[in-house]
Amino acid sequence: MSPDILDGSMDIWFGPQHVSAHGWATKLTLVGDYIVECDPNAGYFHRSAEKVLEFKNFRQGPLVLERMCMLEAFLAEYPYVAAVEKIAELEIPERAKVMRTIMMEMSRIHSIQFWWGQFNAELGFFTMALWPWVDREYSLDVFEELTGSRHTVSFSTPGGVKYDFTEKVMTQLNRAIDRFEDRLVKFKDMQLGSPTFRARTENIGLYDVKQGLKWGLSGPPIKACGVPMDLRKDDPDPNLAYDMVDFDVPITENPEHPGQSDAFDRMEQRFAEAETAVSIIKQLIPQIPEGDIVDPKARGKANRLPEGEAYARVEGTRGITSVWLKTEEKGQTAYRAKIRGPCIASYYALKDLVPGSKFADFIVIFGSLDPYPGWWDR
Amino acid sequence: MGFFSVLGDCFQILKHTFRQVFKRPFTYFYPFEDRIYPERTRGRHIHVRENCTACAQCVRICPVVAIRMDKEDKMYEKDCALYFDYTRCIFCGLCVQACRFEALFHTPVVDLSEGDRDDLIYGPDKIETLDRDPLKWRGRRFR
Ligand code: SF4
Ligand code: SF4
Repeated sequence: MSPDILDGSMDIWFGPQHVSAHGWATKLTLVGDYIVECDPNAGYFHRSAEKVLEFKNFRQGPLVLERMCMLEAFLAEYPYVAAVEKIAELEIPERAKVMRTIMMEMSRIHSIQFWWGQFNAELGFFTMALWPWVDREYSLDVFEELTGSRHTVSFSTPGGVKYDFTEKVMTQLNRAIDRFEDRLVKFKDMQLGSPTFRARTENIGLYDVKQGLKWGLSGPPIKACGVPMDLRKDDPDPNLAYDMVDFDVPITENPEHPGQSDAFDRMEQRFAEAETAVSIIKQLIPQIPEGDIVDPKARGKANRLPEGEAYARVEGTRGITSVWLKTEEKGQTAYRAKIRGPCIASYYALKDLVPGSKFADFIVIFGSLDPYPGWWDR
Repeated sequence: MGFFSVLGDCFQILKHTFRQVFKRPFTYFYPFEDRIYPERTRGRHIHVRENCTACAQCVRICPVVAIRMDKEDKMYEKDCALYFDYTRCIFCGLCVQACRFEALFHTPVVDLSEGDRDDLIYGPDKIETLDRDPLKWRGRRFR
């Protein structure tokens, strides 16, 4: 790019005050209506979670993690709990495994419902934003009935889970799933068939698998290129119940541009993810075994951990979420914890992905990658 | 995408809109009426002083140091007075799980807002009972 093009350029800060920029700021350099440079700036949402974890004991730790992303709280707190369980060598009761898996998939559905509404709101389709949020209320009702809180659930604990499924929870769960399954088909038609939506998203933010992997993307942004990369299949966690169900990794393949994905494909991918999550929950509900929900010895064992280090990861709604934990002999708190959120990759991918597109498409590209500031600032 | 299919879409949207008109509202006339909270709702606490043994487990587990304990203040044999600071509490439920003597519970009361920050520190007089002065607005009583 010759410097004289940049002479007439204009810098625009997208955020941190912008409504849909909840706590992030991206500097865009525009020439006319086109973006020539994009400079993502993380750090407006920093809560020093990794440092906080060094002062919290192992039963308090999950509370910090679930505040990283409250939309997928069940998924977010799991890697930390799993890492503690690995170091302490805890046995998890079968019932707790199944319950965790069900609630993690429910959390994925909730997160997709929220993103789906938010993405539509960002595009200006506000009607379509509110409809999924009605279904989201039903998911929240399940969380509230089960744990007593709508977002900060605090469900998993080293050695099992804290709250048991009651009959009322099961009724609510079935109601939420049945309703969402029914409406998903209709919404999919309405959303993907809408000519306005197609015009707004097709061929916007196009990248291929190679680029995506170079940026470090994972989860739906990569699966939308047609690559079945999913930790639930590739590296099944023995403490979760994914081996009890039969499912295929949801992928989206667009014949118009094989191996690549645009914003439209990523929307389609989210629908496929939601369908898979619904089917996993439906298969698991009849298989919930009886028994304890938490290992009775876990409380004592998790108070002081032996020296060790562990790495645990889970396939989150937005990609691979992982925690690395190091403990000292008889440590009451972690010596060092490192959180890897999925969105730091998708946020910095904007640097290469956005230049060349129109200013109005920036929010489409950004929204379609489903980034959540909590994950990149930590 | 012809003219008629777009018209069809419009009608479908209108159909949904009209259906909502005849449904009961999803909102509540808060604060005069409120939804029913589930049993497990993690709202403000209640401290049952008869059962308390002053073991301080709740104070130790609290991740945000929201509980203060006064061992001198005794009403029964081994109990203690607890002060809850609701400007700090994150309603995580750990203190209730830590208490093994059935002395500490969450209640489904979640409307805690006050005009003064100091009123949010619940001393023994407030934390041991659910009674509170009713608030009135234009002659109507709420909560
Ligand atoms: S609910 Fe959590 S934050 Fe609140 S007082 Fe109890 S332990 Fe502390
Ligand atoms: S409320 Fe429970 S945990 Fe707290 S001091 Fe009393 S008995 Fe111990």
